[in-house]
Amino acid sequence: MSSYEPKLVCFSCKFGWGYLGNEEALAKQIKNWVPIICSGKVDSSHILTAFRQGADGVLILGCRGGDCHYQDGNYEAKKRVHLLHKILESYGIEKERLRIELSIDPEGNKIPQLVKEMSDKIAKLGPVKKFGEPAKAVAVA
Amino acid sequence: MADKPKVAICWLGSCGGCDETVVDINEVLLRVANAVDLVLWPVALDFKYDHVEAMKDGEIALSIVNGHVRNSDQEEVAKLLRQKSQLVLAFGACACFGGTPGLANFTTKEDIFNWVYRDAPTVVNPEGKYPQPRSRVNGKELTLPKFYEHVFALNQVINVDYYLPGCPPPPYLVMNAVSAVLEGKLPPRGSTLAPRRALCDTCPRNKTKPSRIALKDIKRIHQVEADPDVCFLAQGIICLGPATRGGCGESCISINIPCRGCFGPVEGVADSGAKFLSALASIIDAEDDEEMKKVIDSIDDPAGYFYRFSLPVSLLRGKRS
Repeated sequence: MSSYEPKLVCFSCKFGWGYLGNEEALAKQIKNWVPIICSGKVDSSHILTAFRQGADGVLILGCRGGDCHYQDGNYEAKKRVHLLHKILESYGIEKERLRIELSIDPEGNKIPQLVKEMSDKIAKLGPVKKFGEPAKAVAVA
Repeated sequence: MADKPKVAICWLGSCGGCDETVVDINEVLLRVANAVDLVLWPVALDFKYDHVEAMKDGEIALSIVNGHVRNSDQEEVAKLLRQKSQLVLAFGACACFGGTPGLANFTTKEDIFNWVYRDAPTVVNPEGKYPQPRSRVNGKELTLPKFYEHVFALNQVINVDYYLPGCPPPPYLVMNAVSAVLEGKLPPRGSTLAPRRALCDTCPRNKTKPSRIALKDIKRIHQVEADPDVCFLAQGIICLGPATRGGCGESCISINIPCRGCFGPVEGVADSGAKFLSALASIIDAEDDEEMKKVIDSIDDPAGYFYRFSLPVSLLRGKRS
């Protein structure tokens, strides 16, 4: 498992994260980075689609509490994440694989660092289990 | 008889409610029976699968198939009807989306067998016997259909031409569908023969919905005496109306029961559970983590609620193991 590198998708709000930084340089450091306008724009189906397409984890970076340009998009995202944790567990996907961080980082230097931190945690969990894998034979006597 | 279009009605993994709704079109059924030649209807008429096997490919004009697919027998019948039919209509929530039996995809086959044949308190099985697709009894071989790992919607097994959702579909949509076929006035293949928009659009309680709903507390329908005229969500009761296709005739709403989603996603949406989740999250009135968790923890089995009829066709399809 030592060579396993988790596939992480990172959505970050352009209002709070990396707007002063060099987007191109950052994009080289962050795989599957999706800068967006407002974390509240990240719909549950975007997150589930990421997992369907093979993501091992999803990290959402929204603006600091109270700082949302659209009033409460970051809180909306956070509520969705809490609800999705419950749903993901029913699907057999650990809730640690979905994380939201509300903060601010104009230069965006923290983004690669946060991705790395989450990636390290997920590496311990291993890849997301697949649906429809040849399941273990039913226990027979 | 020969010039009448042949129609088959068949159930796969089904409770019989969908066949019942066909009977519920009442005397219209007699007119339908005059206009078509029914060639298979296991619930009501004594035709054998051999009769269908003996037919030419495409000889049946329309097969109305209800129920999900979870075993090799259901798969075989579905494939036989596909081969012999010009059109296949997935009839009811189970055929369209997997239906309530699809919730079994949150459990593994192994867990289901262990519970049903070993662990349930009513089971006595000292020899630990589990059903097998093949077994020998007194020198004879007995066979059973193979039980699959997951529940499938009909279009995950065969190509489906039209969809009519509902648990069961209401008789007026059944009549519309049958007359569309008889008159050759069908929409493009792949269409759902029901309205395109969400249930809230036609809900009589819609006008009572405040411009902004803010819930501090979520209740279940049996815990409160729900106001029969006010939007369920505004009362803090989960109602899947915002993310569910309309057309059911508000049959649950009119008896003061919230929508449970049997019409599946609205047009253009793949995963109605995810859409409902987003909608519900947006009306939870909480800003700090503790408050959010408190409200969300009060929802009993959210995954089961949001995907009650549609788990097999959802984005993630079921539990990973």
